[in-house]
Amino acid sequence: MSAKVRVTINGRTVEVPAGTLVTDAARAAEVHIPVFCSHAKLPPLGACRICLVEIGLPRKDRDGKPVLGADGGPEIAWNPKPQTGCTTPVSEGMVVATDSPVAVKARKGTMEFLLVNHPLDCPVCDEGGECQLQDLAFAFGADFSRMSDAKRTFVSENLGPVVKKEANRCIVCMRCVRYCDEIMGEDALTPHRRGVRTEISSFDRQPLDCEQCGNCVEVCPVGALTALPYRFKARPWDLRQHITICPWCSNGCSVRLGVRGTEILRARGTERRGVNQEYLCVRGRFGYGFVNDAARLTGALVRPPGAAGAGNALEPASFEEAVAHAAARLREIAARDGADAIAFLGGEKLGLEEQYLFQKLARAVLGTNHVDSRTRLVAPLPGTAFLKATGGGRPSISLDELGRTKEVLVLGDDLQGESPFLQAVLLRGQHQQGVHLTVAHPRRVKLARARFGGVWLGLAPGSELALLNGLTRAALDLGDPLPAPSGGPPPAEVAAGLPALRTALAAWTPERAAQATGVPAAAIVAAARRLREAPSRAIVFGRAYAEHAQAAALLQAVENLGWATGALTAGRSCVLYAGPHSGTQGALDMGLAPDVLPGYVPLADAAARAPFEKQWNAKLGAAPGLTAPEILAAAAAGRVKALWIVGDEWVRSAPDRALVEQALARAELVIVSDLFLTETARRAHVVFPAVSFAEKEGVLVDCERRLQRTARALAPRRGAKSDGEIFQAVARALGAAWSYRTNEDVFREIARLVPGYEGLSWATLLPLGPQWASEPARVAASLRPAADERPAAGEGLWLLSGGVLFQQGSLGHRIELLTRLAGAACARFHPDEWKRLGLTAGDAVLLEGPGGSLTLPVAVDESVPPGAVFVPYAHRDVELNRLGSPGGAGLRVKASKAGIAQRTGV
Amino acid sequence: MTGPLLFKDIDTPGLAGLDTYRRVGGYATVLAVLGRQTPDQCIEIVKASGLRGRGGAGFPTGLKWSFVPKGTERPKYLVCNADESEPGTFKDRELIEKNPHSLIEGMILAGWAIQSNAGYVYLRGEFGWLQKILDQAIAEAYAAGLLGRDVAGTGFRFDLHTHLGAGAYICGEETALLSSLEGYRGQPRLKPPFPAVEGLYRCPTIVNNVETLVNIPHILGQGAAWYRQWGTEKSAGTKVFSVSGPVKRPGNYELPLGVPLRVLLEEHCGGMRDGLKLKAVIPGGSSVPPLPASLLDTPLDFESMNAVGTFLGSGGVIVIDEQTCMVDSLWNLMRFYAHESCGKCTPCREGTYWMTGILERLERGQGRASDIDLLADLADNILGRSFCPLGDAAAMPVQGFLKHFRAEFEHHVGQRCLANRRRDSRMGVPA
Ligand SMILES: Cc1cc2nc3c(=O)[nH]c(=O)nc-3n(C[C@H](O)[C@H](O)[C@H](O)COP(=O)(O)O)c2cc1C
Ligand code: SF4
Ligand code: SF4
Ligand code: SF4
Ligand code: SF4
Ligand code: FES
Repeated sequence: MSAKVRVTINGRTVEVPAGTLVTDAARAAEVHIPVFCSHAKLPPLGACRICLVEIGLPRKDRDGKPVLGADGGPEIAWNPKPQTGCTTPVSEGMVVATDSPVAVKARKGTMEFLLVNHPLDCPVCDEGGECQLQDLAFAFGADFSRMSDAKRTFVSENLGPVVKKEANRCIVCMRCVRYCDEIMGEDALTPHRRGVRTEISSFDRQPLDCEQCGNCVEVCPVGALTALPYRFKARPWDLRQHITICPWCSNGCSVRLGVRGTEILRARGTERRGVNQEYLCVRGRFGYGFVNDAARLTGALVRPPGAAGAGNALEPASFEEAVAHAAARLREIAARDGADAIAFLGGEKLGLEEQYLFQKLARAVLGTNHVDSRTRLVAPLPGTAFLKATGGGRPSISLDELGRTKEVLVLGDDLQGESPFLQAVLLRGQHQQGVHLTVAHPRRVKLARARFGGVWLGLAPGSELALLNGLTRAALDLGDPLPAPSGGPPPAEVAAGLPALRTALAAWTPERAAQATGVPAAAIVAAARRLREAPSRAIVFGRAYAEHAQAAALLQAVENLGWATGALTAGRSCVLYAGPHSGTQGALDMGLAPDVLPGYVPLADAAARAPFEKQWNAKLGAAPGLTAPEILAAAAAGRVKALWIVGDEWVRSAPDRALVEQALARAELVIVSDLFLTETARRAHVVFPAVSFAEKEGVLVDCERRLQRTARALAPRRGAKSDGEIFQAVARALGAAWSYRTNEDVFREIARLVPGYEGLSWATLLPLGPQWASEPARVAASLRPAADERPAAGEGLWLLSGGVLFQQGSLGHRIELLTRLAGAACARFHPDEWKRLGLTAGDAVLLEGPGGSLTLPVAVDESVPPGAVFVPYAHRDVELNRLGSPGGAGLRVKASKAGIAQRTGV
Repeated sequence: MTGPLLFKDIDTPGLAGLDTYRRVGGYATVLAVLGRQTPDQCIEIVKASGLRGRGGAGFPTGLKWSFVPKGTERPKYLVCNADESEPGTFKDRELIEKNPHSLIEGMILAGWAIQSNAGYVYLRGEFGWLQKILDQAIAEAYAAGLLGRDVAGTGFRFDLHTHLGAGAYICGEETALLSSLEGYRGQPRLKPPFPAVEGLYRCPTIVNNVETLVNIPHILGQGAAWYRQWGTEKSAGTKVFSVSGPVKRPGNYELPLGVPLRVLLEEHCGGMRDGLKLKAVIPGGSSVPPLPASLLDTPLDFESMNAVGTFLGSGGVIVIDEQTCMVDSLWNLMRFYAHESCGKCTPCREGTYWMTGILERLERGQGRASDIDLLADLADNILGRSFCPLGDAAAMPVQGFLKHFRAEFEHHVGQRCLANRRRDSRMGVPA
């Protein structure tokens, strides 16, 4: 903590940390100083001059003692010029006046200048009603204009599908330009010309080639930048505003939905709330068309009993009929084949309460432990795998702290697609806080660009384990695992595992790791050293590792590296898992895994199980159920006969398309709850119409494990039910005595029962919930060598995939803007590979994998390494699982030219 | 032309070449000082000499140098400000054109004093031909071992580069200059931190004007007391004045500071030409308020100029005769400032535009009586409120013009100009 100083503003004295800016100190004193160019996330600029105030300091005599005035108080030496409050740090005894004649004249003068060339076209401006210039003109401006000469004018410009520019309204505060550069890392905007002709645009005045996040629009204090998708749609005072959590990824951004009637017309950041404040990525800002999509399910569907196939189509049914049918069939199968013939899948997009109910339905009502939310897993993983890799429940640092962590290693994910806000946090940290980035990724993803000053470890595809082993070995060469911040040693298990790990890693010299990964030995050693020796460090991983065929070994290797570098022991450090969905962490916490109950309580532990059995009034099976990949195989083999799939397009996202088709065809009962008639729902026997995130309230847990409240912004679509209601209806039909009136009731039960959640209530989660942790670590650490599976020498190209910004999950396929921005799904090749395959622009390529083939248009991409092909994940036009399930170090495919690309209808 | 110090040998044929420069004593100071006098001693001598910056602000040079942090591991830079864009100022151009080695020598010595190993000369965009001359001289100096890894065998390393701007007046302002030099848009940066602490590439940097730097070899070579034989107590040394306007012999004149304006104009420049009568003088470049003919006896030094409400500035002396309209003159100036305002801050960006519009109306005979007070109030709203001194530079002349020549503005309300016989047709819209 820095020292406190006392400042007096308009006669009110406040104590603030030294170095606080006058504008911030004024906020503490509840004195309003207007600002335009200043922004909480950007360094002071001092350009707009609206925050001019009069500032004085106590006069000092020769000995540095304050000179006392006639009234006995310190004599104040006023600065002859008004000063900008947004650039001036306070100091002891400072006196600030915003209401003195000098300050008032300065502010009025600036206000008048700001309106010299402003068109004052408020009635046709989207910002009208929430415009800071309009507000200030109202508060401080004159009621007549002394400016009677011609105004300078510009023509308006569309800068792509998102940003519309009305330069006449621009007050040249540079917020947009600086935000785009320092926080988005896009640097897509620039001022052109100078003086009164200064005009913000793209460099080439072409449509913006950027992330299309709209944050430039968000931070624009006036209506110079407006969002095309919202243009002329509404006046802000006609909108109901609801703050909830973005459903598009695990970063947990707060979003303010603007609703009129039953329609979401826009989404904005929240200025001062949430983990993100004003920030939203393109999905979080523009990705809501699906909520009001006409194709939403508005009633249940049931496939009449009898042989599946033609003529036996899904037919509309009442909700009650569907519930009765589902319950009857489940009861029948359970009676005939045992509860073990039933499996529950999905739930990564549900809220915490619904996740809890989903597994409770499976375990307590039906008696099966075949529960897994991780439907994309290629290889089985224990339910605690992620918790263990991130330190077993030790407190995570916050995203805010992550942005100040000195060394950050990003493993495997292209954060631009998977975790856009995390990327923004790191870019801002890099720009403003001296964060150094190390990015281990086969592709040179955005975060690894040279201009961000980090180090790119461009490992060969399939050599992830080798890199982690090499890094760990290099870190251990620098000494034993670092002690905990308390000074105590790392957990005993860590110390116990150390010798074996050292032995196992003995072979992983930097040279060997270099040979296996293609990353220079010196770079590996240097990265390990940075991680160990930086004042704070973090390791970030996500989907790429979670959905890897070697996930179990990789997660262990991440944990090893975490202990070896101090990421899991030292202060202000962490290992962070940024999973793919808004409910990924909640699903793990709520036991949507076959071997653990909510709170990671092992099923096998009778004592720990007991409270659940008591609360649920049920006997729980001690044996773990099947994991998602095992359920897939078991269903295909006919051993699992009933499947409940919640909010999950399993057909497209299970690792193996052929197998999932077989599983669904073979299952006797497939229940799907979803917003739309997805590919998976089409194959179901019972389809429940679910409501969207915006029509229900509950809790989400983000990637920093923060519990956040979501709010209901809309009445449920007619005919649709929340997943919680669906689960409860079926549970009751099966004879359970559930009687939750709201999700809050469910949360109360969670708070009573689930370790780590004790004592929490919805009320404690606003405005910003706590970060979940269980100390002392509930899940034992282990320092174990990760199985060393060398990539099999194989034929063909490595298939690289990953989430891309504009397409994330099947709901995104329903957002016109996002699909348009995503363009065609192309197979991307390094120029060398391009040449080798004899490709030309406009060609298509045939990719053949063990499970099948895909034909895709092609594109050249320098960021893809030779010997590999990149195909985006979750793109509307690609069903990647048609190529077959990856095994070992990854999937290899054969690529060959397949003539001219078909137009893909985009 | 000639002068006591900087202009003493300026017209020596071939002075731009190394041999001639050496023949008139050039580089002797480098040989005498480097390795023999400590950097601190050098700074003390410059402090004692009383040298003040010749770029316009008149900040004591030795004091500025002493702000460079000692013992830092970061590189330090020396930057010569050769942007010379202030209207009416053309002294640096002649100094570089005719005597480039004196600048190089001054920079080597300044580099030594602040322990910088790299210098940059930032030339205004229009100075391409000067860059060639300077580059040629720099090449000679490298070849002679006076620049580079081992300056004159002393083990001191000093490299020197030239950089051509892209044509913006604001790039003469030191922080905008540094942004431009780094390849960014030329706009001023927030101070503090001052360049001496955090300048080029965020490293300690000294920015000095050309004329300031060419004084250094003389001061370090001959000593502070010797230097003080010229000038006054607080304005020591000589100053080059660039005189333009209808005098008989316009041009650059190096005179001791403190010489009355009248002496410069009447004795050195030969008085007004063609029988014209002097109406006003802008004594320090376009940014400073004008003086009426009645104040011609004011000495040309920092303090005396301040005492009469104007500034010595860059020493660009602009003479205005009785046939020239003051409204038109101010409009002309304001067009310049509106054109050159970098656009960063509101008062300067909008105010210069607005005032240009008002002045245009006045000049066209469409002014209103209230316009004059409006101009005064707008100038007051800019002065001291803008981000950098360019805004002040646009506001101060307005105040000065109104203070001394208000009657001409009042006369202009509602009627076309009477005084302006020569340039009545220039009614272009400001660019
Ligand atoms: C708008 C503006 C333009 C300037 N132009 C110049 C210039 O062309 N040449 C110059 O030497 N100084 C110029 N200056 C002054 C510089 O900012 C700086 O004070 C000077 O280069 C410091 O050198 P000195 O101490 O040797 O005078 C300008 C200042 C302002 C505000
Ligand atoms: S939309 Fe986002 S990335 Fe694009 S210009 Fe605006 S701030 Fe930059
Ligand atoms: S467009 Fe908006 S944010 Fe950008 S400079 Fe203009 S007023 Fe500021
Ligand atoms: S970063 Fe994630 S949570 Fe934030 S707006 Fe984007 S998709 Fe939503
Ligand atoms: S006063 Fe403001 S607009 Fe004018 S040049 Fe300086 S920073 Fe730019
Ligand atoms: S808010 Fe302070 S200068 Fe713009």
